[in-house]
Amino acid sequence: MEFTELLYKIFLKDGGWLTILNGLRVTVEISALSLLFGTLFGSLLCFFRVGKFTPLKIVAQVYISIIRGSPVLMLLMLLFYGVFARQGLSPELVAVVTFSMHTAAHVAELLRASLMALDVGQVEAARTLGFSKLQAFKLVTLPQLVRIAKPVYQSTIVNLIQWTSVVGYVTITDLTRVINNIASRTMQPMITITGGMIIYLALSYLVYGLFNWSDRRRGQ
Amino acid sequence: MKKFLTLMMICALVLMTGCGSEGKKPIDKDASKVKLGMITRLNASEENFDEFMRKIEDTLDVKIASHKIVFFDSLAQMQSAIQAGQVDEMSTYRSVARYILAKEPRFEVLKDHSLEFIDSFCFALREDETELRDSLNKVIKDMQADGTLDRLTKEYITDIKEGTDPAPVELPHFDGADTIKVAVTGDLPPLDLVLANGTPAGFNTAVLAEVGNRLHKNVELIQIESGARAAALTSKQVDVVFWAIVPISEVIPEDSDKPDGVILSEPYFKDKNVHMIFKAEKK
Repeated sequence: MEFTELLYKIFLKDGGWLTILNGLRVTVEISALSLLFGTLFGSLLCFFRVGKFTPLKIVAQVYISIIRGSPVLMLLMLLFYGVFARQGLSPELVAVVTFSMHTAAHVAELLRASLMALDVGQVEAARTLGFSKLQAFKLVTLPQLVRIAKPVYQSTIVNLIQWTSVVGYVTITDLTRVINNIASRTMQPMITITGGMIIYLALSYLVYGLFNWSDRRRGQ
Repeated sequence: MKKFLTLMMICALVLMTGCGSEGKKPIDKDASKVKLGMITRLNASEENFDEFMRKIEDTLDVKIASHKIVFFDSLAQMQSAIQAGQVDEMSTYRSVARYILAKEPRFEVLKDHSLEFIDSFCFALREDETELRDSLNKVIKDMQADGTLDRLTKEYITDIKEGTDPAPVELPHFDGADTIKVAVTGDLPPLDLVLANGTPAGFNTAVLAEVGNRLHKNVELIQIESGARAAALTSKQVDVVFWAIVPISEVIPEDSDKPDGVILSEPYFKDKNVHMIFKAEKK
């Protein structure tokens, strides 16, 4: 069998490409929603973590330590088969909750690290010049924070996309699961897995590309 | 604090100097064993299997403990492992082996497999689902008696055209009827596979469709990794798990693959275990 014929049989025949696209859609959906909620929750956690109210600071610290130290698959299975087992939540929703929680812990730490890298004197100078707290944050802290956090944040997004490949354990058919199904059916695991890897790689480079494009637009 | 950390690091470095090789490598007892790949079972572990094999060797005076079991969560992973030489053989069923051989001629079934085992396939349910288990048992017996199981075996296993997939199965739908959620893996073609369009199919699905029709219940198939089936069942995310294995052997206990809190139905299919090897150079 010719290689191109084999590729056709594995990835295109009988609408196989549509199934792959569907798996890709699930992966992108879970990743995008988790990124959105994870970033919002992570920013809040960071606010608590660097804030002056000790109980919230401790809560944030404990949360970040536990979640960052736990494998995301364990957390996913614990939530789906344990905590939310009787709630009737869809597996996709539980996956979004899990990955949002996980991403939040990482985002909180990356924001805190970026904040620590900032020169406090600049904010103080802005305040002396009559800027309000909000103005100082918006005009002095935030632009620098975004610039410092950006490279690590894009890695977090790429990591998140890769973490979602374990959702097959909670009955979700994502890109990885589709690739596994095709490999089991066609008996061509190497080619199929390589194909799946290329799709994940393309997704990652799309993220890098978007960040690059935004940097260029801003002239950085 | 800095002094304390420095002191700790110095201590760690001193201790690490003693970690070098002593010239003798620890003996790996399993190094000489044949690594045998298997799809993750519902409950049985690698250690359990090692124990069974030792027991079989003691009882039946055959050489089988020379195998070291390695579990894989999917058929794709197991195939990749055997192709890469991570395992030497893979254990599967005769029907699955026939399907694999038709699609990938570089695989070969070992003829001199020292001992042949037959496994029966059952539904696994939670222990409080005795009513559903009894209904399933009745349907299975009826299907055996009227020849339906034999017909499905022919249609979905023995008579499928070489190199092709079994035909898709239409699952029954009854308005307002209860739904049985069934976990399938897609890792045991042609018994349990997922077609190119993403729908679960195969012999097991055909059996389920017939069960649904006879019980007047809807059947919802939920695809899941092999390793997560027991968790899905006990946490009530699914009602039935497809393929739980019951070994037909005097030496291996019947409940070797049955987790606590789980009950099994009557067997609906039996198949022989075979070992397969991969010959990379074969065309």
